[in-house]
Amino acid sequence: MRRELGIFFAVLVMCGFLFWCNHDFGKAANILNVSRQAAMLGIFAIGSSFVIITGGIDLSVGAIIGLTGVLIAKISSPSEHCLHHPLWVGISIAMAVALSIGLIQGLLISKLKLQPFIVTLAGMLLVRGLAQIITHGGTLGLGTSPLINLSTEGLFHYGYHAILAYPVLIFIGVILLAGYLLHGTVFGRYVFAIGGNRDAAQYSGIPVDRVETLTYVISAGLAGVAGICYASYIGQMTYNVGNGYELNAIAAAVIGGVSLRGGEGSVPGAIIGSIMMEVIQNGIILFKWVYYTAGQRHVFRLSSNWTYFITGAVILLAVLIDQLANILNKRKRLKRQAHIAASKQPPPAPLASS
Amino acid sequence: MANDYILRMQGVTKRFPGVTALENVDLELRAGEVLALMGENGAGKSTLMKILGGAQPPDEGSLHIDGHPVEFRHVSDSRRHGIVLVHQELMMASNLDVAGNIFLGSEPSRGGVLRRGVMRANSESLLRRVGLTCSPATLVGSLTPGQMQMVEIAKALSLKARILILDEPTSSLTLTESEQLFKIIDDLRRDGIAIIYISHRMEEVMRLADRVIVLRDGKRVGELQRDQITQDKIVSMMVGRELTNWYPPLRPRQDYPTILRVENLIVPGSPCAVSFDAGAGEIIGFSGLVGSGRTELMQAIFGVTPPLGGTIHVDGAIFNPTCPRAAINHGIYLAPEDRKHNGLVLAMSIAQNISMPDIHNYRPRFWLGRRRETVVARKQLESLRIKASGVGQRVGSLSGGNQQKVVLGKWLAMRPRILILDEPTRGVDVGAKAEIYREMMLLAQQGITILMVSSEMEEVLGMSDRIVVMRERRIEGILPRSQATQERIASLMTGAGNLDIRTGV
Repeated sequence: MRRELGIFFAVLVMCGFLFWCNHDFGKAANILNVSRQAAMLGIFAIGSSFVIITGGIDLSVGAIIGLTGVLIAKISSPSEHCLHHPLWVGISIAMAVALSIGLIQGLLISKLKLQPFIVTLAGMLLVRGLAQIITHGGTLGLGTSPLINLSTEGLFHYGYHAILAYPVLIFIGVILLAGYLLHGTVFGRYVFAIGGNRDAAQYSGIPVDRVETLTYVISAGLAGVAGICYASYIGQMTYNVGNGYELNAIAAAVIGGVSLRGGEGSVPGAIIGSIMMEVIQNGIILFKWVYYTAGQRHVFRLSSNWTYFITGAVILLAVLIDQLANILNKRKRLKRQAHIAASKQPPPAPLASS
Repeated sequence: MANDYILRMQGVTKRFPGVTALENVDLELRAGEVLALMGENGAGKSTLMKILGGAQPPDEGSLHIDGHPVEFRHVSDSRRHGIVLVHQELMMASNLDVAGNIFLGSEPSRGGVLRRGVMRANSESLLRRVGLTCSPATLVGSLTPGQMQMVEIAKALSLKARILILDEPTSSLTLTESEQLFKIIDDLRRDGIAIIYISHRMEEVMRLADRVIVLRDGKRVGELQRDQITQDKIVSMMVGRELTNWYPPLRPRQDYPTILRVENLIVPGSPCAVSFDAGAGEIIGFSGLVGSGRTELMQAIFGVTPPLGGTIHVDGAIFNPTCPRAAINHGIYLAPEDRKHNGLVLAMSIAQNISMPDIHNYRPRFWLGRRRETVVARKQLESLRIKASGVGQRVGSLSGGNQQKVVLGKWLAMRPRILILDEPTRGVDVGAKAEIYREMMLLAQQGITILMVSSEMEEVLGMSDRIVVMRERRIEGILPRSQATQERIASLMTGAGNLDIRTGV
């Protein structure tokens, strides 16, 4: 939990700094907006974490988010070119499709030993292409569908705003379920064991293939859930929705201490990583620096063009600090071992005559 | 006489945590001489060669080349002095052609641009020297193992080797390929190149060696000149030590009720089927050289690489090892040879490793049985005397012996019927060894069958009721303990055995 705590304090410091720079950061509307964004990212970042902890990677989540929204719009939207079915039909079909994509990818990776990177890269293009074909490259509006309310409505109101928006509620549900699954069940233990040492897991009789396949199903399923939220939030579905989100999920997981080498990570880590990602995005918009030259008041603001640059720097910084800590720890351990070894010189061999 | 040594190693000592791999070893070498370096697995041959090759520095001792003291800190240091090591596992880039491999790392270039013409011309003359007729443009991946070996030697020659170290060069060669290699070695000897030849095969050593040096337990135990070399002398030097007293007393020979019967089992990659049986409470030792197929046999029985044919009966019922889980459900457990790769998740705790194969049976069903896990692990920690700060300690931070005990504990917590131990004491210090032996005896007394693969002769002799000797993936003989001697096992596993003991009892 060292890593998770470190990032948690980093996020707190960041929030404090942003609030000091610009009090708008602390306004209810902003906090609720950031929490909703972080919740939607967190939902599928947790899914990606399952895959990454087994030592795999899932590049298809962004595309699945897009396809889910497009499918719901196509099936359930009351707008033109859509099929006008009830909302539950659209959501069920979209979720079924998302889960099947995960299942197929998982089976290809575990049974046929294809590389996760390649399978999910192809999966990403296929799924994105499917969304493009369904939308004819255009836009499908959700129109007056009740789904629109999902992202804005919620429990406990404060003025016009729901304090707990539905995406946040869904996120909390996902956290509880995923946290239980990863940290409380035998399945979760197997996920860590496979990432830690696949061969040892196999030699211990763990159903490696099945567990690995399931992590891809979980990842795709949570991407589907996130896709529903994003569809509601955006309202107008193009095939491009969710483009590149898989990298945000990986970044959030890595910032939160999930190791791409496998075997390391946690649900709390993925949550904090997601919050960090969204606070950075929000901070770049809100950051301002007031300074005076010759009695004149100036306000410095960051252009939103800095978003990628700063996100990249933060990810690099997070892994850099972690690695430095690892190297220092290792050195300390080696020194201690050398010390012990030096104090335990082997006794001299007895003389042949005695 | 003493001045014509091109290489002298004096008083070389190398210690690893818990073991002394080399102790005060001397080695000297003349130009144009083939020196055979012999010894059992773990006698220190490869450590000595690693020191000579610059891959590891010695703790004590000195190296002289042409009478001048030298110090090797890196592989390139020893290369500069013309020492080239040809590894047992060929280290080649199979996607590059022959010329590319010969000059890998020392490519002739001008301003960073490869001089392919020079490479090709030089390769051709080198290939001719090692008797290869293929073109330098042939992909290495398409060559036979024998041809690859020749390319390795050509590479060594391109580095202007004066001292060539060949580590088990014939292990993957056919008879004719070996014969060709010997001719080339004769040529090189005539050219004044000194060769250190490591091999377990008696006939090769008899055919090639000008001199033999035998290592045992990290010490140099003897030297034979060409006219003194006989098989018997070498074997007795290699194994000639008293059985140390940490083995439990001999158990009287009993009639164990048969629990495991392996009939005509075809292990993937094996030339022929193998059969043996084992009784309840019996300890069977599997002896043989590295690569004799013992590990593969055990992996087939455990279902890691399911067998392609034959039958296994456990307690009279047919058992088909399709996967490790199937074996585990029959009470057959395997503690693998390579703990770190196959046995343990080093990043996890002792408790998590011990519970791994069984945790799905812990109650309550839908919540990790952490309490039970701790209880089970603590019990193993105590009964096996694992030295750790607690069951929560990471396995990666334990010593080799304690890691091995964790692997054992993992299976002992599940009441084994048949326990397969592959090199149970490799990399384990003496104290932990004795405890592992004691534990094995206790298990045998409880009626648990133990199949023990071991490359340590005295361990096999000290522990086994019967000894299965394997060679080139066949069972060469099955000896009851009363008839087993070090010499008999050694001659069976090196292929120098007599027909009358091959039939077994």
